[in-house]
Amino acid sequence: MAPPPVSDAQLIARVVIQDDRHAFSELVRRHQSAVRATLRRLTSGNHALADDLAQETFMLAYRNLKSFRQEARFSTWLYRIATNAFLADARKRKEELLGDGDAELADEGPDMPHLDETAGDLARGTALKLDLERALAVLSDGERAAIVQCYHNDLSHEEAAYVLDVPVGTVKTHILRAKQKLKVRLGAWAPQEDA
Amino acid sequence: MTTTTSPRESGMPPDDWLDAALRTEGTAHRDEYVDDDGFTARVMSALPPPAGLPAWRKPALAVLWAVAGAGVALALPGLLNDVVREVLRILGAQPVSLAGIATAVGGLAAASWAAAAYTLRRT
Repeated sequence: MAPPPVSDAQLIARVVIQDDRHAFSELVRRHQSAVRATLRRLTSGNHALADDLAQETFMLAYRNLKSFRQEARFSTWLYRIATNAFLADARKRKEELLGDGDAELADEGPDMPHLDETAGDLARGTALKLDLERALAVLSDGERAAIVQCYHNDLSHEEAAYVLDVPVGTVKTHILRAKQKLKVRLGAWAPQEDA
Repeated sequence: MTTTTSPRESGMPPDDWLDAALRTEGTAHRDEYVDDDGFTARVMSALPPPAGLPAWRKPALAVLWAVAGAGVALALPGLLNDVVREVLRILGAQPVSLAGIATAVGGLAAASWAAAAYTLRRT
């Protein structure tokens, strides 16, 4: 019979008490996909930057593991570190990685669907997915981070507030504004009665 | 942390097409697995080396033992002579036999081996 899987908490204890590198590598292996996928969303598909930030995230997690108090899930704690790393990097570069959403909205107007009305549901869904990804890229860093945490990582507003280190009200505001921008950007995808 | 509010139960209209699109996109995102592809090895190789004993520890211990020994020697000046004399007297009183010598050598070898094994394990 296979031994029961070791929990994250047990692995964390081994790392903190014995500096067990094998335990930490198991934690990295378990969570690398979610952290890297989240950072890929935050960086709008820049895989190289996302992986650099993911590595920085796990390095910071290793250094600060003693301060992890289990007040949130380990994965949520990692999202918090990853999001902070992303926002700090964006500030440090002093460039608008993903552009000014409002300006682009004003300049370009809504995206048009890539396929005509006769296209199948699958193709239509793929086209919407692509347009959605492009539209997410024009949001501010905070707005995009809120959307990614709440929709992609399925966190509650409270958990997203913990990850983003902002009040819950700010998370709700970010999401509201983000959705307003996305609705304008993706207006052509709205159902007829909604448009 | 408690999970009390999620996007789908935060007052958003159920017929919100954008909300539905975001949720569909989010589900696809969660189902997506990013292959490790050497990432874990990259992280592990970038970790700082394991913390060893500080370089000053051994000399500091030697100094402390020397100070302790000198302190004992000063406090009890005749102790060393008494101990050596008594050990020699006891040994002299014992009948010397081949079996006794073999036992003593064996005991010393076992103690040395155990000490070496313990030291190597710690290293």
